[in-house]
Amino acid sequence: MPGFLLAYQSLLAFIGLNGLLALSVYCTLCCGQLSLANAGFMAIGAYTGALLTQNAHAPFPLALLAGALLPALVAVPLGLPVLRLRGVFLAIATIGFGEVVRLSFVNWSYTNGALGLVAIPRKTDLWMIWVALAAVMFGLARLRGSRAGYALEAIREDEAAARTMGIPSTQYKVAMFVLGAAIAGLAGVLEAHLTYMVSPGGYGFSRAVDMLVYAVVGGDTIFYGPVAGAAFLTVLPEALRGAGRALGLAPGPLRLFLNGAILLAVILFLPNGIVSLPRTLRALRLRRASRAALG
Amino acid sequence: MRSGRPILCAALFALAACKGGSEPAGGGGAQAKGGTLRIGAALSMTGAAATYGQSQKNGLQAATEEVNGANSLQGIKIDLVVEDDATSKEQGINVFQRFINTDKVNVIIGPTLSTTATAADPLAQQAKVPVLAISNTSPTGITDIGDYIWRDSLTEAQVVPGAIKKAKGKIGFKNAAVLYGNDDVFTKAGYDVMKKALADENVNVVETQTFAKPDRDYSAQLTAIKAKNPEILVVSALADNASGIVAQARQLGYAGPILGGNGFNSPGFIKNAGPAAEGVLVGTSWNSASTAPANARFKELMQKRGVNPDQFTAQAYSGILVVAEAVRKAGYKTGRDDIKNAFAQVKDLDTPLGKFSFTPSRDAQHEPAVQQVKNGKFEIVEQ
Amino acid sequence: MWQQAINGVFLGAIYALFAVGYALVFGVLDILNLAHQAVFAVSAFIALAFVAEGHVPLAVALPVVLVAAGLVGIGLERVAFRPLRGRSDSNISGLISSLAAATILEAVALQIWGPDVQRFPIGTFPDKPLRMLGATVSALQLTIIGISVVLMAGLTTLLRATRLGRQIRAVAESPRAARILGIDVDRVIAWSFFLSSALGGAAGVLFGVAFNSVSPDMGRSVELKGLAVIILGGMGSIAGAVIAGFALGLVEVFTVVQLGSSWRDAVSFGVLFFVLLVRPSGLLGRAAIREA
Repeated sequence: MPGFLLAYQSLLAFIGLNGLLALSVYCTLCCGQLSLANAGFMAIGAYTGALLTQNAHAPFPLALLAGALLPALVAVPLGLPVLRLRGVFLAIATIGFGEVVRLSFVNWSYTNGALGLVAIPRKTDLWMIWVALAAVMFGLARLRGSRAGYALEAIREDEAAARTMGIPSTQYKVAMFVLGAAIAGLAGVLEAHLTYMVSPGGYGFSRAVDMLVYAVVGGDTIFYGPVAGAAFLTVLPEALRGAGRALGLAPGPLRLFLNGAILLAVILFLPNGIVSLPRTLRALRLRRASRAALG
Repeated sequence: MRSGRPILCAALFALAACKGGSEPAGGGGAQAKGGTLRIGAALSMTGAAATYGQSQKNGLQAATEEVNGANSLQGIKIDLVVEDDATSKEQGINVFQRFINTDKVNVIIGPTLSTTATAADPLAQQAKVPVLAISNTSPTGITDIGDYIWRDSLTEAQVVPGAIKKAKGKIGFKNAAVLYGNDDVFTKAGYDVMKKALADENVNVVETQTFAKPDRDYSAQLTAIKAKNPEILVVSALADNASGIVAQARQLGYAGPILGGNGFNSPGFIKNAGPAAEGVLVGTSWNSASTAPANARFKELMQKRGVNPDQFTAQAYSGILVVAEAVRKAGYKTGRDDIKNAFAQVKDLDTPLGKFSFTPSRDAQHEPAVQQVKNGKFEIVEQ
Repeated sequence: MWQQAINGVFLGAIYALFAVGYALVFGVLDILNLAHQAVFAVSAFIALAFVAEGHVPLAVALPVVLVAAGLVGIGLERVAFRPLRGRSDSNISGLISSLAAATILEAVALQIWGPDVQRFPIGTFPDKPLRMLGATVSALQLTIIGISVVLMAGLTTLLRATRLGRQIRAVAESPRAARILGIDVDRVIAWSFFLSSALGGAAGVLFGVAFNSVSPDMGRSVELKGLAVIILGGMGSIAGAVIAGFALGLVEVFTVVQLGSSWRDAVSFGVLFFVLLVRPSGLLGRAAIREA
């Protein structure tokens, strides 16, 4: 019995964590910026939190706070110059940042370099992850419909036009960049104290890509989209593991394949993510009905 | 229906009795004669350490068959569960959790790499499940995790100094260059041991270079090393990197002797390095030339299975023998604490590795050896 | 010193060959094709299959794999890029689409060949060291440098002297104008992908043979280095990619010697950042970088 619960607990925990990470990417996506820096921010948060609990025996809430704050502080001087770059160049710069963070940890002997930290005390409980997720979702939901929310949408649509309308686009973009960094850092601390370890390899380019995929697949135009994407893509490979094994497919490649195929399908056919599926289906049905009605 | 109740009771009783018998005794409970000793083996069947994992699986399976076949545990049968840790810390932790909570094993064997062990062993220590490492050779960070962690593999600190001393005696070198992997617990620890051993032998280290596990190109490091004209190249690497390093070193024109750490002790290394592997010296835990009966029997069994045994096979095979001996010393009890307490009583057990005992710090104790690649095979270098 | 220079040129040749493919597609479509590294890896596997199982000599396998890689590139374009062409955010969605394609290709490679490192059988390439200028070069290294240079020169000549090349450059300049001029833009784009992927595939095979190591994730680190190369060289500039590729190879090798292997990658990204922040157009690039 306990084993069964353990398995599901783990799944729910990772859905929550991936949801947080997806939301951290959403922060920048919702104002039209493609940033792949959040794996780096997650690493900074995770290491900070782990070092505090391991070496300074700090209470967990303090580790959580520091783990969210430090990446946010780093995001400010990084964001200001980097967010001036357009599209692809911003993406590349943030990829570069992620790699620099990873390599810095690999080369830092205080954190055991490439080996990372192990035997981190398990302090994360399932409820903590979900409370954090709910809080972030609530915050982002409040943003929608507010003046700031409209400003972000305007920036996303056409930044030059938004600026002529008097919206200080740089400030908004940096603010969302910093917010995303804080959320990613928080998720990092929570994960580190759930999986007992942190190592630079876990925060590389593929991690950053995973987060982006969750957000895009779920839908990056509404605050619950990324969480839906994270939940869907975390559960799917687990749910299909049995079927996969029956077909002779290993779980690793299967998960990767599903991620890729679903992402491709979404970007081609459902650009607003799977949460827009009901709307798209309804529109299709309406169109078909009206066509039939017209004979 | 009043007549139905006794039948119902009997049925329920039978059901309960059946269920009770299927799980092996966990915790510290006494075990009746017959029953199961469930051993969970976390091995790297995929990933960078897969070449070792395969050897280990062969050794474990052979020994399990031997012990079960000879019925030397008074009716207790070994149930060996092998899971892949994918040479990854995360996977290692997952596998350990499954062993501890779902499969409810009595003892864990593995994981293959020291790096994985530093992440996964703490879980077993906390859950009070004994772990017998069969290939972790990093001197620190393994058995010092706690009193449930034991190992039958000699550490680099126990093997390398002897190897260097023997090599110096045979070849005679006054300076050396060292190349090691800085992103693995074992290769890094190996480097520390090599550095000290070279210093103890008054050898001057003229160049030290590092690499990382994913690296494939070592030409920059090897060129820098070659430029300093070392009389010997000492390498601390896992098999995948080891073969690439040796091949590229020869390609770049370095013709001097090469001495490797435990990572070289795999036939996979020889296979992948090809002719470049000729002459490479390695300290080893397994004296394959030993004529002791336990070793002869081991080699015979592996030959019957069509397997060419290496050090990892021998250490794995011996691991099962050690666990079986612990069960015997515990009075044929298979509880987790029974086994853990009985390990210390294992003394001079006849294994393919020689006469085996544990040190007070739960490390392995037996005679090491040095071997050299000759004609594509490892050959023991005689005293 | 010379030895390290040769090591650097060798590494740089592979980087340059890989990055040229990136630059070509970016120049023509304004899209960063992150599936390039997957074509790189898959091509190495296909070559390995030819050599190890088909017992085909490498010299025969290489051109075959080049064509195969090119065809994969065309397929990639049709499935993942063409449907996005009209969209306003096509370079972001194109990037994401290419990521998806890369993931799919990598998953297929993982399933078919497994995650472990595979090697070319011994004797695939004769191992003959030669001494030049006091340095030891293997025949393999020379051949790889040679092939890379020939392929890159071939591409440059094609772009400059052939009709297709002129059409590619026209489309890169302005797809709309090119269409008005009667150029079959779709065909030109398909050809660009063919060439780009063929070169990427060649880089993959050469890399796999050079370091005798083929694995599904072998494209990852080269992909990121490739990004540094095209940023340094200037996005969309083939010549820039070549120069920057060799430069980065040399810089990396000397970094390993001076600072240690751990710093090797850090330098590439340091360069990337520096260029992006100080001179985003790189050495030879012309693309518009800033927002407004």
